[in-house]
Amino acid sequence: MSRVLARSLSKKKIVTNEGKVIGTLKNLVVDFETGQVVDLVIYPDPSFDTSGYRTEGDRLYIPFEAVKDIKDYIVVDRYLSRK
Amino acid sequence: MITMKTQITELFGLNIYTEKSVFVGEVEDVILDIEGKKMESLVVGKLNQELVDIKNYKGLKVPFRIIRSIGDIVIIRHLPGAFKSGDFGEAGK
Repeated sequence: MSRVLARSLSKKKIVTNEGKVIGTLKNLVVDFETGQVVDLVIYPDPSFDTSGYRTEGDRLYIPFEAVKDIKDYIVVDRYLSRK
Repeated sequence: MITMKTQITELFGLNIYTEKSVFVGEVEDVILDIEGKKMESLVVGKLNQELVDIKNYKGLKVPFRIIRSIGDIVIIRHLPGAFKSGDFGEAGK
């Protein structure tokens, strides 16, 4: 039972498996050919150190592969979320 | 034209047609399979009233596997008998 509506994810907080808040979800990158969810597009918290992460302007990208679970928060693996 | 990798919000509001040019509705939301890391189905809003029996209306989901292509509109496979009024399928099926 891990089905979720895409709109319900909007503005959810992203935290690492160590409990550190990365930021809030802005969007998802998907592949229309395969249906695969590729990346999370995140507005990082001002306090978050984005070095080592994939960024584009003020947004931060984390591969969806790093997602461990989504309930009230989106939990991502600290190591898999880096590029 | 939308390229292959796109932000999911681009999908919202796109019109959905079958490959026989029958209007189905509009993309309202997308159901994601978290474990499978993929889009499972589209949630259809503004449903074409001629396609469904409104009394049994529970909303419509379009599974990702019947999607033919996504661009300025969404084209799905035409499934005879999938909709209440059989007018849109081939005769006799």
